Amino acid sequence: MLAARMEDSEFREEYERARREIDQVDFVIRQLDELREKAGLSKAELARHIGRDPSSIRRLFTAQANPELLLVASIAEDLDADILVVPRTSATEESRRDVAGPATS
Amino acid sequence: MAWDVVYYTARDGSVPAIDFLDGCPTKVAAYLLAVLDAVADAPPPRYSGGGQWEAMHGDMAGYHEVRATGPGREQFRLFCILENADESELSRRGFERPAIAVISGLRKPWRTTFDDRDYRAIRVLGDDYRSHVPRRIAS
Repeated sequence: MLAARMEDSEFREEYERARREIDQVDFVIRQLDELREKAGLSKAELARHIGRDPSSIRRLFTAQANPELLLVASIAEDLDADILVVPRTSATEESRRDVAGPATS
Repeated sequence: MAWDVVYYTARDGSVPAIDFLDGCPTKVAAYLLAVLDAVADAPPPRYSGGGQWEAMHGDMAGYHEVRATGPGREQFRLFCILENADESELSRRGFERPAIAVISGLRKPWRTTFDDRDYRAIRVLGDDYRSHVPRRIAS
């Protein structure tokens, strides 16, 4: 089914874009869950640390919630981790610098 | 191990989920299929699907839904059943490995809800799907 649809370039472009978005969300949440396990924290303990309802953490780590960035950031902070946005190419980075103007110190 | 994605085929040979996807905007169909593939590539209990894959409850317990938002915030859903059993049972059902069976889809305007009749229609298809061994599927 998918192979036939992928022959349509518009579909393929949208599918690949969606997969990149989904894979990035999945990667971040899985990394946080691995860090939680390494820290020896239960989901309920993590929830208590960041002042959230345990059910919201359970839902997040079982793919039953659309991750809210503030919640993700709170978890990362509690696990002593940062969430980074990394430009894919240096060209992308340079073009963004151009738009932002020269850096000042 | 990645799971397969298969589609329930009705007695008349139609494939409701594919008919549904054919009627969706391209971007929505692409998104729904991307979520399905992400979940199939990293199946439960791992986190996958970008938060757009959810186990259902109540009368729809046993189903999972894939969610997408389209133009004008129209809501799109695909309803799925997980085929995850031991090797002999999977083989009896006609599978080589666990699979996500996509039953059908529904769409609704923003700020409206699916009613019992909508969900019942999905369950009728799901019951028909489960009543056949091996399963009647397209892939």
